[in-house]
Amino acid sequence: MTAPAVEASVPHPGGAVYQSWWSRVWQNHAPGYLFLIPWLIGFLGLTIGPIITSFYLSFTDFDLLTPPEWVGTANYVRMFTADPKFIASMQVTLTFVLFSVPLKLAFALGVALLLNRGMRGLPLYRALFYLPSLLGASVAIAILWRQLFAGDGLVNDFLSVFGIQGPSWISNPRYSLWTLIVLSIWQFGSPMIIFLAGLRQIPQDMYEAASLDGASRWRQFWKITLPLLTPVVFFNAIIQTIEAFKSFTPAFIISAGTGNPINSTLFYTLYLYQEAFGFFRMGYASALAWFLLLLVACFTAFSFLTSKYWVHYDD
Amino acid sequence: MTMKLDRRQFLLGTTALAAAAGISPAFAQEALRLIFWGSQARADRTYGVTDLYAKAGGPAIEGEFLAWNDYWPKLATQTAGGNAPDVIQMDYRYIVEYAKRNAIAPLDEFVGGALNLADFDQDQLDGGKVDGKLYGISLGANSVALMVNTVDFEKAGVELPGPNTTYADLTTIGEAFKSKGVGKAVIADGSVSEPMYENWLRQRGKALYTADGKVAFDEADATEWYKLWADLRAAGVCVTPDDQALDTGPLETTMITLGKAAVIPSNSNQLVAFQAINKDKITIANFPRIATDAPGGHYRKPSMFFSIGGTSAQKEAAAKFLSFFVNDQDASKVLGVERGIPCSKAVREALAPTLDEQSQIALNFVANLGPLLGALPPSPPAAAGEIDASLFRTLGQEVGFGAKSPEQAGPELVKGATDILNRAA
Repeated sequence: MTAPAVEASVPHPGGAVYQSWWSRVWQNHAPGYLFLIPWLIGFLGLTIGPIITSFYLSFTDFDLLTPPEWVGTANYVRMFTADPKFIASMQVTLTFVLFSVPLKLAFALGVALLLNRGMRGLPLYRALFYLPSLLGASVAIAILWRQLFAGDGLVNDFLSVFGIQGPSWISNPRYSLWTLIVLSIWQFGSPMIIFLAGLRQIPQDMYEAASLDGASRWRQFWKITLPLLTPVVFFNAIIQTIEAFKSFTPAFIISAGTGNPINSTLFYTLYLYQEAFGFFRMGYASALAWFLLLLVACFTAFSFLTSKYWVHYDD
Repeated sequence: MTMKLDRRQFLLGTTALAAAAGISPAFAQEALRLIFWGSQARADRTYGVTDLYAKAGGPAIEGEFLAWNDYWPKLATQTAGGNAPDVIQMDYRYIVEYAKRNAIAPLDEFVGGALNLADFDQDQLDGGKVDGKLYGISLGANSVALMVNTVDFEKAGVELPGPNTTYADLTTIGEAFKSKGVGKAVIADGSVSEPMYENWLRQRGKALYTADGKVAFDEADATEWYKLWADLRAAGVCVTPDDQALDTGPLETTMITLGKAAVIPSNSNQLVAFQAINKDKITIANFPRIATDAPGGHYRKPSMFFSIGGTSAQKEAAAKFLSFFVNDQDASKVLGVERGIPCSKAVREALAPTLDEQSQIALNFVANLGPLLGALPPSPPAAAGEIDASLFRTLGQEVGFGAKSPEQAGPELVKGATDILNRAA
């Protein structure tokens, strides 16, 4: 282990110029990179490679069976000028993001505040509330949701106790998207855990000072808790927004991949999947995927730009 | 401690890899690869036959099966990767696309040699041809058919639907259902069933698509179709749109299995599968008529094919297996009529007495369609699947939920279908 170090300290014949950053990096980090090789191979071959390929494919017509055919920007032009389903799926996804993210965050924060009051058995509650997030994107949960919100499902059984005859929530275009939003809110576990950690960071003496000044709990929440929690809110909002844009499994399972009734659950990702694997338009689907990437990037950039007006860092 | 364990696992892993690398070429020379879609029941029957084939001295067959929706992406991916299986289950809807791209091989050179089709039904043979060349061997004939819950009709005190039942009769049956308190609709919402629409068009002397892959119905046809179902829906004869939307494809979510309707449109070979998951006794009948003097609109179609991969290195061996699959009488007893009625006359005659009651019904139904039968329509254009999945069903739902009127949906169907066909061309 000592031998290379000694060798490195000997001045190179070429002088200091030859001792480029590359050889420094190599000497200092070679073992690290060696250990990284398996991961690097996977990263380059299974992630970067396909990403670059999909960018190329987005300018082609490719049906898997015949070689891709270069069509220039035709796929992108079609998206914005001649594809009503693109618009429809974008509307569904934006509605989903706009409602599910704030509601989920509000819910997660609410539960975190409750749990933060130092009750007994906190780890148990925390684990219980986190459970839905663990099961979150699974097929089993989506199937369970289907059963809950079907016409003769558990939800309507419950409503019928109060004499309410509920509709078939999942198969009615007016409500189907909302069942998915509720499903997303129910999986509030991971933002809740992060909120809990954030709440622990707020110095207790601030609350003491505030209550000495006669500030109510409500006022303390608005004036102390929320401002000091904004970095965590910001982090959660970004993560959850990206998650919401990417959401696929629940809609896929609940509508059996169709996005029905009447395209009411046709998430953007589901439409992308249909184009790719239902109708074998890999080129068009790649273009859709790249637009989604761009959209999510814009949303995130916008959030960062506005963050300085409402996110307060504690320094 | 952990280091030791890791090293041992590593060694185990490399040994396994080396072993696999050593063994697999030997396998590749011998075994045929087979891929098909279907249920576990179909897989059991299929593997029963591959076992028989191995016992009879044939090569081993490595089978793989998937659900319909997963099957096509997988097959397309394997084909694109130059890794297509030797024997491929093929559908009428995709055979043209695969044949034109040489993804499946023409079989004419094997007929009479490795592939014995001496007493094969001519119409089933023709169904597997593309541009005059044979690309698919039909695994069974079937026809569209209504699945009928007999118990509901007994309760209502009305006769089971038969060759002369018309769409107008459905309304009368609906009244009986209501007065006797059967508590469910007569029929599923057929407005979203492409086979039912096709049958209805054929009764009017029209079709879904022309031989050169264009839309073969007009706006008036489509509008009247949506009106027909709007009326049945308003009268409570067919199920509500909420209920119909629960049907996402699998037999378990169909209106008959969910107990929402007594009758649904389906295929004759599926009677066996439906009976297996329904307590009430199920039978089959032809689709309703528009009038008793109109043509029946039915046709005997190849339920599915076996084709041979275009890049297969063992086409001859694959053809031999196909021949065994459709001609061997012991194989046919394992297969039953789960893929439709066998196309070889000798096989059919040997099989008939061994069938259970439900399979007999299915066999007799297809054999006795007689005057209701018409010619096999040309194979549909490649985009037909997309038109059905992304246009036809959505429009039917939009009319069902009242988002569009039949007068709007009719022209939209024609225009939308034409657009999709033009885009694919």
